[in-house]
Amino acid sequence: MRHLLIIFLALAFTSVFAHADKHVNLGDRATELKDEGKSRDIHPSLAEIRKMHPEFLLHKRDKTLRQGVRTQRDSLKECVNCHSSTKNDEYVPINAPDQFCSTCHQKVGTSLDCFSCHRTTPKEGL
Amino acid sequence: MNIRYQQIEGRSLGFYALVAGLGVLILTALGSVYFMEHHGHYVTGMNNRIVWGIPHVFALFLIIAASGALNVASIASVFQNKLYKPLSRLSGLVSLALLAGGLMVLVLDLGRPDRLIVAMTEYNFKSIFAWNIILYNGFFVIVAVYLWMMFERRMNKFSRKIGIAAFIWRLVLTTGTGSIFGLLVARHTYDAMIMAPKFIVMSFSFGLAFFILILIASYKWGDRPLGDVILNRLRNLLGVFVAAVLYFVIVFHIGNIYLAENNNVEMILFANGSIYTNLFWYGQIILGSIVPLVLIYHPAVKGNRSVLGLASILVIIGGIVQMYVLIVGGQAYPLEMFPGKDILEGYGGIVAYTPSFPEIALGVGGLALALVVVTLLVKFLPFLPESLADKVADPHHKI
Amino acid sequence: MNKELNRRDFLKNTTAVTAGVATIASGITLTTFAANDNPVTNEKRWGMLVDTNKLTESNINDMVNACQEENGWGSEIHSTGHQKPSWIKKIKVKDKVTGKIDMLPMMCQHCEHPPCVDVCPTNASMKREDGIVLVDKHLCIGCRYCMMACPYDARSFVHEDLSNQKEHMPRGKGTVESCTMCVHRVDKGEMPACAEAVSSNGVIFGDLYDANSKINQTLKKIQSTQIRTDLNLNTGVRYSGI
Ligand code: SF4
Ligand code: SF4
Repeated sequence: MRHLLIIFLALAFTSVFAHADKHVNLGDRATELKDEGKSRDIHPSLAEIRKMHPEFLLHKRDKTLRQGVRTQRDSLKECVNCHSSTKNDEYVPINAPDQFCSTCHQKVGTSLDCFSCHRTTPKEGL
Repeated sequence: MNIRYQQIEGRSLGFYALVAGLGVLILTALGSVYFMEHHGHYVTGMNNRIVWGIPHVFALFLIIAASGALNVASIASVFQNKLYKPLSRLSGLVSLALLAGGLMVLVLDLGRPDRLIVAMTEYNFKSIFAWNIILYNGFFVIVAVYLWMMFERRMNKFSRKIGIAAFIWRLVLTTGTGSIFGLLVARHTYDAMIMAPKFIVMSFSFGLAFFILILIASYKWGDRPLGDVILNRLRNLLGVFVAAVLYFVIVFHIGNIYLAENNNVEMILFANGSIYTNLFWYGQIILGSIVPLVLIYHPAVKGNRSVLGLASILVIIGGIVQMYVLIVGGQAYPLEMFPGKDILEGYGGIVAYTPSFPEIALGVGGLALALVVVTLLVKFLPFLPESLADKVADPHHKI
Repeated sequence: MNKELNRRDFLKNTTAVTAGVATIASGITLTTFAANDNPVTNEKRWGMLVDTNKLTESNINDMVNACQEENGWGSEIHSTGHQKPSWIKKIKVKDKVTGKIDMLPMMCQHCEHPPCVDVCPTNASMKREDGIVLVDKHLCIGCRYCMMACPYDARSFVHEDLSNQKEHMPRGKGTVESCTMCVHRVDKGEMPACAEAVSSNGVIFGDLYDANSKINQTLKKIQSTQIRTDLNLNTGVRYSGI
């Protein structure tokens, strides 16, 4: 049992690290922050955010929607704000092919349902 | 009494044509679903006032018919009626098939059918709808077990007990389905507890009509003997049920008329010449109740199978019309938001509803699914007795 | 009814970080609202009092427009007629006896005992502790039973694909929506957009329970009513003048 678990975890992690550290399209603001060396302030552990972001978001969504807890930490809006990129001075929807969210989601074949309702670009007038 | 069950041949051209025809209907339904889900519900005739349309008419019709189709098995096992015993397996099968068809339609019309898993994991136990999901799933399990008990010789002895369980379960199920409407306080067209018993007799009648049709068709097309004893019994039973539905409809509407508040709602049904008035009188009352009653009881056509088949078809059509009047007609009339005031602007009026092709295709697809399930399963499993000639069905019958 | 939230309380040990992030991220969002990490409680009950005598027709139109503007509904392309969403609408009624004509805005009444919440199979329709009734679109399967149950025709089903939603107001095809009492503004300490659109005292928004609030005091003084009081839903939206 133990062995199986270890094998499973190992596999799971390798799948996360498989496509290395380079993310094809990090998004404008996130790239800036990374260059300034500040990205670790936001995501202390890359492995954690990669693995756990669905849980973070899920947890946050219930708290915000049902209890009115509105913090920036783990807010989907903030994900979109940092990880969107622009093209010809216009934001590209974050769920478009080759954009931050969809690259990974396509690769691992998981659906991306957030944006059937949520706005796909940072707030108007940014 | 020794009844031998046997699969049907299922190699004739007619058989394949039937399966292919039903298959086309099902594929059309699936195509329609894809179309509706891809574009969104704007391609349907449904809107924010008529939120439930043709798909729900078919879905709820099939679901209540499903519970009624189990009647024959119930009469056999619960009330120990020997004559119906050989029909029990078919009765269980028709019932499961109709439920599957109804649920397919209900689920595929959801705004987000991809989230079906949410409906299975997040339950609001105050919601009658959530209870219905449990009831439907439970019905599948119970009837499946019931069938198994009937098929498996060493389990036969339990079949009565489980038959009783299935009987109770399905009464609760129909009550639950009726309560979907009966418990809507805001809608005076629905808000009445008589809804539940009314749904139960409706289920008896629609379910039996399906059963009779399938029975006649499979014995005729399968070239197996089917005696008059059984058919005459079923005929009388159908007559009683159709009359009972008619009685409930009358009581229900008279009751509504006496509640002054509902008066004008009733008027749209009875007198104002809207589509619902016509559907109610011509479709539900005349075509779906009175004509079948005449066909069933008129001495001149007594014993004529085609006439019995026709009566069953009319009961089914009448039933669909009745669900239409109930579900769509009940929403078309505006909510009574300001008693004592007329609404001049912003809300009100009787809303028109024009079902679009995809919705109709989806509804019909559910019906087709039910029929194809029956057709295929009687081929692969021994559901049908080899013979239902009078001699076999009722050895004490004197000719 | 309340969803379990203690799965893993990430936020607990990250509040310290939140402050840090706020400074980093402030360059991006520039919003100044205080991070609100306390769950809302039932010590408050948000409500609204609409005085139809003080509202002109154009006031009501302004309210509708403000709501559309704020929440981004009303620009659907494909939906026709009754398929179009309507979170708030202008209604004109005439008394059958006296012939008196009144005009009023109608939206979700934020019932204390909301039928929509009772019937929703998946808990998607829900009432916050502070009385605001919302649809959790993550859970909504689009069955529309809540629309059947609502006595006020307050809910709309989204009939088509949407894009470019407001950042604070996710909306999407196949789910049901209705007036949120501008919950995103209320949580920031602001008023709902419709209330703000009327400069007179025609619409008063506030905490029904707070004895010092304007809405509480006004309700004590003047005659007011709920629509369909007979249903005993104890609505959060009250009317006077009709
Ligand atoms: S007005 Fe309708 S949608 Fe709003 S809380 Fe009441 S029942 Fe629900
Ligand atoms: S449409 Fe959505 S919110 Fe309404 S009852 Fe169904 S699941 Fe609940």
